[in-house]
Amino acid sequence: MSWQYLIWFALCAVAFWLSGAVVAFRSRRSWVATSLSLCGSIVFLSFIVGMWLSLERPPMRTMGETRLWYTFFLSLAGVAVYSRWRYKWILSFSTMMSVVFICINLFKPEIHNKSLMPALQSVWFVPHVIVYMFAYAMMGAVTLFALYLWLRRPARRPTGEEMGVCDNLVRIGWSFLSLGMIMGALWAKQAWGDFWTWDPKETWAAATWLSYLLYMHLRPRLREDYHLAFALIVFSFILLQMCWYGINFLPSAQGASVHTY
Amino acid sequence: MSSSWGYGRAFYRCLLLFAVGVVLQLCVGDVNNSFLQYPWGLILAVNYLYILVLLHTMRKKWRWVEQLSDTYASTSSLASMVVMTIIFGLTRQEPSTEGLVGLLGFSRMTSSWPFNLLLLYFTTTIGLSVIDDLHHWRHRRLAAMMSHIATFVILVCGIFGSADKLRVTVNTHLERPVVEGTDGRGISRTLPFAITLKEFKMDEYPPKLYILDTKNESSSKDFLSVESLPAEAEIDGWHLRVEQMIDMAGRMPDATDWREMIHTGAAPAVYLTACNKVSGEQYSGWVSCGSHIFEPSYLFLGERFAVAMPRRDAKRYLSRVEVEHMDGQREKFNVEVNHPARIGAWRIYQVGYDTARGRWSTTSVLECVRDGWYSAVHIALWLMLAAGVVMFVTAGGRSLARKSKAKIADVKSKSK
Repeated sequence: MSWQYLIWFALCAVAFWLSGAVVAFRSRRSWVATSLSLCGSIVFLSFIVGMWLSLERPPMRTMGETRLWYTFFLSLAGVAVYSRWRYKWILSFSTMMSVVFICINLFKPEIHNKSLMPALQSVWFVPHVIVYMFAYAMMGAVTLFALYLWLRRPARRPTGEEMGVCDNLVRIGWSFLSLGMIMGALWAKQAWGDFWTWDPKETWAAATWLSYLLYMHLRPRLREDYHLAFALIVFSFILLQMCWYGINFLPSAQGASVHTY
Repeated sequence: MSSSWGYGRAFYRCLLLFAVGVVLQLCVGDVNNSFLQYPWGLILAVNYLYILVLLHTMRKKWRWVEQLSDTYASTSSLASMVVMTIIFGLTRQEPSTEGLVGLLGFSRMTSSWPFNLLLLYFTTTIGLSVIDDLHHWRHRRLAAMMSHIATFVILVCGIFGSADKLRVTVNTHLERPVVEGTDGRGISRTLPFAITLKEFKMDEYPPKLYILDTKNESSSKDFLSVESLPAEAEIDGWHLRVEQMIDMAGRMPDATDWREMIHTGAAPAVYLTACNKVSGEQYSGWVSCGSHIFEPSYLFLGERFAVAMPRRDAKRYLSRVEVEHMDGQREKFNVEVNHPARIGAWRIYQVGYDTARGRWSTTSVLECVRDGWYSAVHIALWLMLAAGVVMFVTAGGRSLARKSKAKIADVKSKSK
């Protein structure tokens, strides 16, 4: 398997995801939309597995490789949320975001170096990255939904059910952020002897984690003020972007992070 | 009390702590945590916990204590930590005290008074919440309680145990026992055991070939990884074909050919042919990354380009060491990245080697770390991991807003 096959797998996966998104709106039988979307995720996963086998290491090292996982988990998060709460729009959202990330990978392909530095050869490497990518996908989904509720025309107050969706997605995403962060700490102790070193990546991960935690603590008091709730979701997602790839461009983090790919 | 005043009061408290921190930073400089060295860190931690329990029991008598454990206090302290962490992330961490950020201690954030005071306040609000949770056990708040307890333990250990961690870097040489190393400040430290390096082993990835542009001083993004023969690839308009590969090779001083040499300092070498896809120019020759003994070889493709092989990437490296305790007892360990050796409260980590010699290195850089608070933090992290799982499993129930109503009803019924 090589990078050049991505477009064919992506086309096939996107066809399944689009069909699932359309069926979610048109059909009352939710299992049809769920199955179609899952088929798309399986097709995309087979490309990732193929890359894994050909690279002889987990494809999680470069930004392009993490985007593959993000795309996969975004689609899977969409299916999970749709199956659990029957939100018809979520499959369209997850498909749209998956397409965006596939396009980035198609137009900005990266060299897939087979080398995996010794520090990355840990039992924590795969779960740490996968859990974080799933958390990012959930937070991406809730940010889009919050923006939709906030900016829709004609403007109207979000219902309790709609805010409940935001709360649930943040809660699930935050639980995965916590898992990813703790796995990273346990791994760091094994590799470098410190659980936490305030490396720029870790600092921004802490800021993101705290910001979503603030949302969860503020929400009970923000039953009326949905503007602040939405603003906090969007702000937290900006912090997440800083943690994911923003530090690569941040002057204060240049040459100071061990999290360089 | 109105919620706006509640928040206002709580945020003023954070602002006051920040202002006090700034004044202390300007007057006394960075926080010096050396007073927290064992046993004082532990004694202060126990006293801190005692004070928290005392405050919890006194919360009905003293209004300000009650205000320390309410929602406004936890939210405002959390918000202040978000702000401080963002400043932390935006500020380059270096010992410099120049400029406003240096003066306020933000360039040395973990030692700055504003950060540490707000962190202690944040820890205190969580601690009071944990005691309240333990006092009024509520099953439906299981995930929150678990994450509160875990966060509190991690923060208490991080604050009061901050002076107890000792990192000693030890440079070991083959068959030479070492009992001393240097800590992070360059101070010599004696270890309670002697370490002798018995063997250093390194596995490397296959050699890679790049096209160098000598005019622009850049290398191609694509490369040819020589894993097996024949190996070929097209890179920047050149077709490369490797015809011969020697894993351990050497070259006589006046020779152009590389030949097999099973000897210290041997380097990988490949014989290849490069053909330009447009002009048809063809070049053949040996390419090697060289070693500390042999000079590297390049294949020049005309005047501008050349084929080069950088030093091979390390796949894994390990040190076989013998540790001799003070009582004369000896133990053997394999120390590898991600697989430290454990000796009581000490752990030995593989840090580096002589990169100039690579796989032929006769020295190994190890780091001995003593962390007395390891077990407590380790347990707390696993509790946090479990809390994350519980939160994921139980998510999707009531919304946060409805949860709050239930919590208020809960408190009301308790007060009746």
